[in-house]
Amino acid sequence: MTSFVLYLRKNRTLLITASVLLLLLLLAIQGMETQDWVVTVLRSLSVAAVTFLVASGFSLIFGLLDVLNLAQGTLFMIGAYVAWTVYIRPDTFIDILTPFCFLIAGFTLLPLWDFLASRLTGKKILVRLWPWVGLLLAGFVLLFALRAYPITIWNPGVYSQSPGTYSLFADTGTRLIPPAETFGDGSAVLVLGGILLGSFLLAFSLAGLQNNRNAARVRKSLRLPWAYSVAFLAVFLVGLLVHLFNTPLTTAIVGLGSTWLFFIAILVALLTGVLLGSLIESTLIRPLYSRPIYQLMITLGLSAVGIELVRAIWGRPEFTMPKPEIFNGAGVNCPATTLAGVFQDHCSTILFMDSRIRVYNEIFIPLVGLIVLIGIWLLLQRTRIGMIIRAGVQDREMVEALGINVRRVFTFVFALGVGMATLGGALAGPSMGISTAMGESLLLNALIALAIGGLTSFPGAAVGSLLVGLMQQFIIKYGQIGIQLPFLAEPFKPTPPLVPASTVLLMVIILLVMPRGLLGRKE
Amino acid sequence: METLLEVRDVHTFIGQYHILQGVSLKVRKGGITALLGRNGAGKTTTLKTILGLTPPRQGEVIFADQPIHEMRSFDIAALGIGFVPEQRAIFRDLSVEENLKIAERKRGDLRRKQEMIFSLFPDLQRLIHLPGTHLSGGQQQMLAIARALVADNRLLLIDEPSEGLAPVIIEQLILAIRQLSAETTILLVEQNFIVAGQLAEDYVIIEEGQSVKTGKMAALVKDEQIIHRYLGAA
Repeated sequence: MTSFVLYLRKNRTLLITASVLLLLLLLAIQGMETQDWVVTVLRSLSVAAVTFLVASGFSLIFGLLDVLNLAQGTLFMIGAYVAWTVYIRPDTFIDILTPFCFLIAGFTLLPLWDFLASRLTGKKILVRLWPWVGLLLAGFVLLFALRAYPITIWNPGVYSQSPGTYSLFADTGTRLIPPAETFGDGSAVLVLGGILLGSFLLAFSLAGLQNNRNAARVRKSLRLPWAYSVAFLAVFLVGLLVHLFNTPLTTAIVGLGSTWLFFIAILVALLTGVLLGSLIESTLIRPLYSRPIYQLMITLGLSAVGIELVRAIWGRPEFTMPKPEIFNGAGVNCPATTLAGVFQDHCSTILFMDSRIRVYNEIFIPLVGLIVLIGIWLLLQRTRIGMIIRAGVQDREMVEALGINVRRVFTFVFALGVGMATLGGALAGPSMGISTAMGESLLLNALIALAIGGLTSFPGAAVGSLLVGLMQQFIIKYGQIGIQLPFLAEPFKPTPPLVPASTVLLMVIILLVMPRGLLGRKE
Repeated sequence: METLLEVRDVHTFIGQYHILQGVSLKVRKGGITALLGRNGAGKTTTLKTILGLTPPRQGEVIFADQPIHEMRSFDIAALGIGFVPEQRAIFRDLSVEENLKIAERKRGDLRRKQEMIFSLFPDLQRLIHLPGTHLSGGQQQMLAIARALVADNRLLLIDEPSEGLAPVIIEQLILAIRQLSAETTILLVEQNFIVAGQLAEDYVIIEEGQSVKTGKMAALVKDEQIIHRYLGAA
């Protein structure tokens, strides 16, 4: 009993703030119909879930690594584009799979390269120089080999072949697949061998660079754990098989239908994020751990480069990503009145308290958000790596002093954080539409959510995202129906520019009352 | 006399500050060596340099006949060096059990050691599920030491264990550390000369980043001149 009173006293600012916010939320019923209120709350859950996916990655990365990953918004956008590609143009995805597998094959043999690099001795200048020469050479080989591999792609410059057109066709239920490109005059064996060679050279040179960076050059003994050889064989075989059975595989994956394709697309987007995250951390962020300003500039630069790259590949105009069949039904029984109806007829909307609720936006997205929230929470609380992350957030040096390689955990966390962002992008594609600008507003939302919830607190990211979602959706709703404020004759209608401003205002007020955010810890 | 740890003329920089300007010391296997010196003399930095947390720019550190000064800190720790940092730096967001569990280097370390740990610090058994924030200062210090005992460590580096604790608790700590020294070697940084005098057999005095004097504790306790000169009023 006394501990409960103690808890109340210790957290009284938090409790008062929380009650005021709850009161405001309930007061909002006064200004509108009850069903409008319910729908608005549901919509904010959708926004909150997407924001949370970006913010949770942000919070994990910042908490453990002290890196403010400003590229998180761009990576969110990249997630959406990757998912779109797999979902709308599965043939392109299958085409890319082969060169991709061959490209990463070299990196599965890293211990071997590491060993070879440590054995390369000679004149100091040569030892310093060869990795750069190798990188250059690898670049050349890959440039030619990758370009020679036939990938059937779209053409943003021609309307009939632009991504938007493919989306429109997919929305009508017919997937438009252009005829596959074939090898021109190059031989397939030569091209594939070239990619593999380039990949080996690239990995070898990078290992050499890494080796030169270490102050102590030790002659390592060769330890190639069997897992690495198995990984190499697996990646190589997958690449080869996909190459050999390209056409039947494409037919098969298109035949799966939009629902399966959509879930594959989400998974691929998540994995792309994980891969991009580990790549960014290990090559760009790791050398800069002692220089936070440079990290900030690197992530900011990455974000700009990412946007331009996406523009170059997918073109400037925005396009839509149709919802998969399972969330897009429109039969006679739609909108569904019961949950059972949703499952039977795959209705896109459900009638609840006389208003239409979109199944994908307002039920599926929040559900995924909740699953991720629980999943990461379990990871943090119940696993050893989660324990190391929580301990590392507080005192990295001490974790290392216990004999734990924190750097490896850093890579894991960065990869996970970026994976969350690309997953968010993939999910948001069908509800937000796809454009190169979609990351920017999300980044701002996520940053505000983090500041509200407390920068390094994982539950704080969830609470902050929820508040940001609620604030935005209620302001949007009041923009439509107006709000009767005291001393004003006319109802006040907030204009759209006030939507982002309102969340900033919320953040300012909360930070004035609680400078560390709602759930932030004392330093 | 077998030497477990030897530090040879080590120089360490933190940022641009030349903190250690030639520290040499030997830690005898078995028993307790005290690292003495005024505030800011470089005692904590010496411990961190041994562990590779602030790697030396010059000089050598030899642990069990193996040079370790170019190794990464987690590899150094894994050789069997336990660290008890100053100010009782336990992981406050983790429970007592997790604080111990995270120190495992092999699966089941904690299960094998818990009997020994709980007999040394009976309080911890009672508090096992509490979060670190709920512990008193003395309990946190005991947990910090217990954490260094979970893995098989041949050397313990203990930084200012008595700082800010009540005399009764310090008595308990002295007993526990003395019991520990029967099995492991300890390098102890201690401001409180009375505590250090009761525990250690050998001593090293550091002044302004240089080791200036070493010897037997028994002789130092009687030598008021040295105590006054290097350590201030004892």
